[in-house]
Amino acid sequence: MRDWGEVVRQRLAGLALEPEEKREVLEELAEHIEETYQTLLRGGISEQDAVQRALSEVPDWSDLQRRIHSARTKEIVMTNRITQFWLPGFLTFALSMSLLELVQKFFPQPFMLHLDHAPVLLFYVPWLLTLPLAGATGTYLSKRAGASPPMALFSSLFPVLPLAAIFLIAIPLGLVISQTLSHGIVAAAFVTLGIEWVAVPGAVLLAGGFLVRVLFSRRLDSRRIAGN
Amino acid sequence: MIGTGIKRGTAELAVLSVLENGALHGYEMARRIEQQTKGALRFTLAALYPMLYRMEHRGWIRGAWETSSSGRRRRCYRITPKGTKELSPLRREWAELFTALRRLTKVSHA
Repeated sequence: MRDWGEVVRQRLAGLALEPEEKREVLEELAEHIEETYQTLLRGGISEQDAVQRALSEVPDWSDLQRRIHSARTKEIVMTNRITQFWLPGFLTFALSMSLLELVQKFFPQPFMLHLDHAPVLLFYVPWLLTLPLAGATGTYLSKRAGASPPMALFSSLFPVLPLAAIFLIAIPLGLVISQTLSHGIVAAAFVTLGIEWVAVPGAVLLAGGFLVRVLFSRRLDSRRIAGN
Repeated sequence: MIGTGIKRGTAELAVLSVLENGALHGYEMARRIEQQTKGALRFTLAALYPMLYRMEHRGWIRGAWETSSSGRRRRCYRITPKGTKELSPLRREWAELFTALRRLTKVSHA
């Protein structure tokens, strides 16, 4: 009797799955080949031909290995990325933008921070006060989908990420332009906008996210205590 | 409108259709498809299992180890409610394809 398990194990030795998962896959494939082989023998085919034909079920073992790995891992990674980051991120973004719309409608006057009687920084304080809610929502949804703590916090930051990306590109450009203008106006404007729309809202969103993280870990701790 | 994934859809439709009648393990599934299509559709091990694992991860089918009366351990697959829901759009796509091909063939013969 042939040990198809050993044949499959050798040919799919590089299959990068969790040990238990890999063992199950190898066992299942070996079982399939064994049944093919036995059916061929019962059909009156010589043992040598039966072996050849059973093995011809897999023309390229490394291709099979790659496709099994891809089928069992790729879609999970994709799904996880969507449910743990993109979806909570977009919802946080939509919530924070809706809150900004509402604030601008009902409290149109921003708070201005002056320096030498000139307005330097501008903040929509009511919006900033509501932002922890958006950050907390992002972290909560991400955490609920099984995200790691850093990813959960990162998704709460999602509303400021597009702006942060723009500033990362625009600030160096602004510095170049401002040098040619020989005034620091452009660079100063970018720094100001960066503080108003990225740094401060980001910190507030993170505060909401941290709050949820603390609550989550406390809940887990109390469950552990209850379990003990 | 017939989707671009129609080729993959054939295999998925075949698997979901045979599983609609009851749980099967991989080898039996391949045999059943081959028999019911009179050999027109044949799945090798290399074609079948990556597809089964993909469908399982999508939640269309669920596999579980079962031991037969002879003591043989096999992984049997069942269609899930989500998989059953997937069947109707797949069938509709195929019906559309066949209607389109029939129409085309008639035009060519005219």
